[in-house]
Amino acid sequence: MRAAIEAFDAGADVAMISKLHPTRSHSGAAEGGINAALGNAADDNPEIHAYDTVKGSDYLGDQDAIEIFTAEAPGDIIQLENWGAVFSRRDDGRLAQRPFGAAGSPRTIYSADITGHVLIQVLWEQCCKRDIPVYEEFFAWQLVENDGRCQGVVCWDLLHGGLKTLGGKTVVLATGGAGRQYRVTTNAYACTGDGMAMALHTGLPLKDMEFMQFHPTTLYPTGILLTEGIRGEGGYLINKDGERFMKRYAPNALELASRDVVSRSEQTEIDEGRGVDGSILLDMRHLGAERILERLPGSRELAMTYAGIDPIFDPVPVRPGAHYHMGGVETDNDGATEMTGLYAAGECACVSIHGSNRLGGNSLMETITFGRRAGRSAAEWALANTTVEVPAAVERDADARLRELLDREGGERPWKLREELGVSMLENFAVFRTEEGMTRQIEILEGLRERYPNVYVEDKGQVFNSDLTQAIELGNMLDTALCMVTAGVVRKESRGAHARPHDYPTRDDENFLHHSITRWKDGGVELSTSEVRFTQWEPQERKY
Amino acid sequence: MQLGLKIWRYDSATGERELREYELEAPDEATLLDCLDILKDKQDGSLAYRKSCRMMICGSCGMRMDGAAVLACKTRMYDIAQEGRVPVISAMGNLPIVKDLVVDMDPFWDKFKAMWPWLQPGYDRPEDGREYRISQERMNVVHKEALCINCGCCVSECNAMESDPEFLGPQALAKGMRFVGDPRDGATVERLERYSQEHGIWDCTRCYFCNERCPKGVDPRDAIAKLGAESIRLGIDRDMGAKHAKWFVRSAETTGWLREEELIPKTQGYASAIKQLKFGASLAKHGKVRPVPVPHTAKDVGEARNLRKLVREQDRQGALGHVQGEKALERLTHGHIDASLEEIYARPGAAPRPWLPEVEEEAKA
Repeated sequence: MRAAIEAFDAGADVAMISKLHPTRSHSGAAEGGINAALGNAADDNPEIHAYDTVKGSDYLGDQDAIEIFTAEAPGDIIQLENWGAVFSRRDDGRLAQRPFGAAGSPRTIYSADITGHVLIQVLWEQCCKRDIPVYEEFFAWQLVENDGRCQGVVCWDLLHGGLKTLGGKTVVLATGGAGRQYRVTTNAYACTGDGMAMALHTGLPLKDMEFMQFHPTTLYPTGILLTEGIRGEGGYLINKDGERFMKRYAPNALELASRDVVSRSEQTEIDEGRGVDGSILLDMRHLGAERILERLPGSRELAMTYAGIDPIFDPVPVRPGAHYHMGGVETDNDGATEMTGLYAAGECACVSIHGSNRLGGNSLMETITFGRRAGRSAAEWALANTTVEVPAAVERDADARLRELLDREGGERPWKLREELGVSMLENFAVFRTEEGMTRQIEILEGLRERYPNVYVEDKGQVFNSDLTQAIELGNMLDTALCMVTAGVVRKESRGAHARPHDYPTRDDENFLHHSITRWKDGGVELSTSEVRFTQWEPQERKY
Repeated sequence: MQLGLKIWRYDSATGERELREYELEAPDEATLLDCLDILKDKQDGSLAYRKSCRMMICGSCGMRMDGAAVLACKTRMYDIAQEGRVPVISAMGNLPIVKDLVVDMDPFWDKFKAMWPWLQPGYDRPEDGREYRISQERMNVVHKEALCINCGCCVSECNAMESDPEFLGPQALAKGMRFVGDPRDGATVERLERYSQEHGIWDCTRCYFCNERCPKGVDPRDAIAKLGAESIRLGIDRDMGAKHAKWFVRSAETTGWLREEELIPKTQGYASAIKQLKFGASLAKHGKVRPVPVPHTAKDVGEARNLRKLVREQDRQGALGHVQGEKALERLTHGHIDASLEEIYARPGAAPRPWLPEVEEEAKA
């Protein structure tokens, strides 16, 4: 939506395509906040924000991109506020900022614990104001490549049925992540990596796919997100003995170390038998009812609804769960991909500002800042160039593939493959990774991909055929998962979210200070690397 | 757990409608949405419903269970299964059904868009290029309205919309209040003029079903009441509904009881009231009004007057006069919140008290 608003304001004729109504997107589920160095709560500036982000990325983030990001973030926040975002306030009436993990200053702007929700509302309001058309519940399936350019998208119209092809001089992917590859995830059902898969299948490179962030506090057993803001407000992590174990892993930052560190610490506690039924406990009893009700009411409601626990009285069982793809479609600092006319922004893109580990509060900010930049550059290109041509063959081919899938009269139901994918990814490609596990996972994925051409769509109708779209989503998840694990095996080091404590426990800057690039070639993954861009920070050991 | 569901299936292509019964096995913690997923995966792939976040924030999965709107992802099924009840699941009301549990949301969004649902900055924009300076207390006026996830549960249940499909409805009006109550918005009067027209604020029947059914505690009816209060405060009171409300207040504060005989002339005007004399006579005949009004002042009128005085003294004009948040808080709380931390730690079966381990110095360095 941010990209669409910017493109519209730049004078382009713009429309949004979404498989959900725009306000249903998963950005709305972000809770804790959005980072910009406003300096309202303490001394802060974009350079410190940049340093924190570089360090958090384990030096794999591209520093020029990070500097642009932190410099432009404050202006973007002010604009959102001026547009009407309902943020929480300080006593002096300015925007409140709370501490977040691995941040040198309290710089996370928030709205209680529904920050993503208020942002998605304000962006939708601005889209309504501009009357930007939305192709709602259009499931984007394939990019239209013609003349070496991206010139549109082939979609399945979920509500009415039928393929619809939309031409466009430029296309901006803003399709989010693929957390549904994992059985325990904070992600919505919609997060199935559709944009990454579309780009991949068009021959574009995906970057740093092995880095999947595990959020430290997802509710047991569902994996529903409990915000980092709980720890930002002073919540503790304790093991079964009540010990605040983070002291042993991150003696200074404690619970507010970066997410990869906290997730690994929790997993170690659980693996070594100091957990409680496969979880550790998030304790906010000492915060008191008033503070919980004022600052964390949504989290309390989630805990009460899905775990039957009132955090005012009892700690909440949490564990690491798949949360965020640091990797994605490779773009430059203006969101442009390798293919003329195709742009990407947000979680589906990899600029990269997150490197191998993202800081909490940076992803919402990235969607805004880089969404704006991608929208602007996509509009400028569209306004300077004229023609759009969608060859008739594109829709014909897509239709043939669709017929093949819909006409199948038997086979395996997709849910079996989806469950096997979710369970095996969690087992073999989660917080800790081993050579053996990853090798096995590649075999499992190959096996699932062999079975995939036989999945059976039971619903043969046209109207709201979500059985069909779920089958397509499964294919997207399988292919992007293969990219992730393939890139993971060859990264023989531990960096950020990619931890191999048993065979390669340390970072290896000499051999692996580079981005992983995966491309789709002949039905498989082709690997290569690309340089990390540095400006002013040399790699150092990371301690919290 | 073992569970039964009856689902109203609907096929818009053929117009066929059928109540189908299902049996399924689900984990104890399953929500209604989880149960539908199990059915779709394992029994009937053609079952249609919307879903996404499964954590009550995206607003996709509004539907009806036993005739009342719910978010499927918020509805735990364990107790229902234990009771052996077989709930009936159907699409939301007041919106056209597309397929099974999926409704056409276009009418919903059309009304949303009719509210000018975006901030219209006033004249006091911050000159330093920074954020507006507003107290949290002032922002709290729109706190509940800002929680709305556009799920449509309130619209589904709206009785006024059932009789007047053009009624703007609880969701759109709550969105309107989100801007009317926002000190940054400069279009309050234009908004209230617009919202006060036919099918607007005053056409709400005050049945409170929207408050009852909202899964997020937005309390849309309260928002509509606040819009009404703001309209009257700003003199936008030409609508009969506004005059009606004003008369209630005036009547309560002067004599402490509702002078019904004066209500119609004060609301509709004298000419219209005369036309309704026949109706009034009929009411009297059935004992619905007293034949001869007896002027008197209620014994406890002081209480009503003091309440008004209090609101005036606190300068809680318009929407601010509407008491905020109690209901939302009440919905969340249970147990004794005033327990001390020591008491909480000492509860039977409580998790251990948190403590920090000693860490050797070299680890710290």
